[in-house]
Amino acid sequence: MKFDWPYFWESLLSPSPQFLNGLALTVIISVVAMALALLLGLVIALMGRSRFLPFQLFASLYIWVIRGTPLLVQLVIIYTGFAAAGIFRFEDTDVLGSLIKGAVQAAIIGLMLNESAYISEIVRSGLESVDRGQNEAALSLGMTPMHSMRRIIVPQAIRIMVPPLGNSFNGLMKSTSILSIIGVSEMFQVGSTMSAATFKVFEIYIVVALYYLLLTTVWTFIQTAIENTLNVRAGLPRAEPVFKRLFGIRSRKQTTPAPALALQPADAA
Amino acid sequence: MTTQHAASTSASTPPPDPHDNIVQAVDVCKSFGDKKILTDVNLTVARGEVVVMVGPSGAGKTTMLRTINRLESIDSGEIRVNGELIGQRVNKHGKVVERSARDLARQRADIGFVFQHFNLFPHMSVLENVSLAAVEVRHQPKSKVNDYARELLERVGLAEKADARTRSLSGGQQQRVAIARALAMRPALMLFDEPTSALDPEMVGEVLTVMKGLAEAGMTMIVVSHEMGFTREVADRVVVMDAGTIIESGAPDQVFSNPKHDRTRQFLSKVL
Repeated sequence: MKFDWPYFWESLLSPSPQFLNGLALTVIISVVAMALALLLGLVIALMGRSRFLPFQLFASLYIWVIRGTPLLVQLVIIYTGFAAAGIFRFEDTDVLGSLIKGAVQAAIIGLMLNESAYISEIVRSGLESVDRGQNEAALSLGMTPMHSMRRIIVPQAIRIMVPPLGNSFNGLMKSTSILSIIGVSEMFQVGSTMSAATFKVFEIYIVVALYYLLLTTVWTFIQTAIENTLNVRAGLPRAEPVFKRLFGIRSRKQTTPAPALALQPADAA
Repeated sequence: MTTQHAASTSASTPPPDPHDNIVQAVDVCKSFGDKKILTDVNLTVARGEVVVMVGPSGAGKTTMLRTINRLESIDSGEIRVNGELIGQRVNKHGKVVERSARDLARQRADIGFVFQHFNLFPHMSVLENVSLAAVEVRHQPKSKVNDYARELLERVGLAEKADARTRSLSGGQQQRVAIARALAMRPALMLFDEPTSALDPEMVGEVLTVMKGLAEAGMTMIVVSHEMGFTREVADRVVVMDAGTIIESGAPDQVFSNPKHDRTRQFLSKVL
């Protein structure tokens, strides 16, 4: 096997400015797309729970279409397809003094749309995991449904939602690698260019893989910290330490009890 | 029919109530799908009265209780609390329509409700559970509310648990906190939905003692219960429900020792 160790170590430990730009773009696109997807996902989830039928229909149609088609195809339709059909063309625009490329805008929109469909399902199941009696108790104390949602339901649901949302974000960061297809010079795209110029294909993609691993590992630490904070605030034991989580040495004993007063059958009579 | 009735009795101010009835339910009907749960139920409760609803399971007791603060809507008939239609109002065309969420919340704030499964808020301390609504719904000053909340916890015998998490409490303690939480709103009426049914037998007594104290203090109470000893001792009136209707109503002694209805007799023979 031919493996250029010096080249590998150099690429890993002192990456080129282009590579670091790619890394930065990967992080920025992930974070912005996730933030927007959280908002849109919440809106879609609330539409799905609405009593207004058109909202419900829209939400289920949206989730059905977005989850039923590949992200790659969605991206190409949004960026290339729309432009070709003369529907909409993403132009480079100046935002707060920096030039945002059309492809980057399309990437953020595409990832946001794709992710929001999954997030809305996470939000929906999180809200549903809170026992109906909690809402009834809040209403019986004279709270409006909105007040109850904000003070009673959401604070309890959020603890349930954070682990799957964290997984979503982890997946989203890795999905950015397919943005190369619409010409976004994120980390994977920069790696491809470098490998085409140097023919050090194996070395470069190992470096790329290690940097993705670094991103998701850092995120695992952040996610664990968020979960711990929420658990402590809810008076529950902390989640498992990060190293256990990373290397899969999870204990079987349940450290976090099921959500507040597990679902009880409503007594109808 | 309902519409006309509502229109005739609800001019701009509620009609003066000669008997000072706090709850007045007239011809209440309710179905879940094809299943009729309540059929023409009429129930009147006077201020200060303690009414216990008994009857076989599936008789509609809980549903009837839940309609009184509109956790359950009704299909026809009308329910007034303090002279106001609950969850409904008569619009300018004389039609009965839904009240706004805010208006319904205002009405519910005066009606305490104690649930079979307590439904304490697990993300808050015991004291926060009790004081939350007085602060956030009634907008009373927090320090004043906390003083009153501590006083109520003292009354239900849980003063030392103020800072505890709800999940560290036993069922009986949780239910007593739930009662204090409802009382913190200074309700005009308290509704209890089988408050001791989810408790271990040794904890039933502590909750019933608190409820008895409330009744003695003059609180208006409607209680769905299977505790016949408590009913005999505390109730001013027993209401027997069966198959979605009230089949008998009267003083506990009279109903228990001399039931008029066969079905009451059958039911009592099983529970007494």
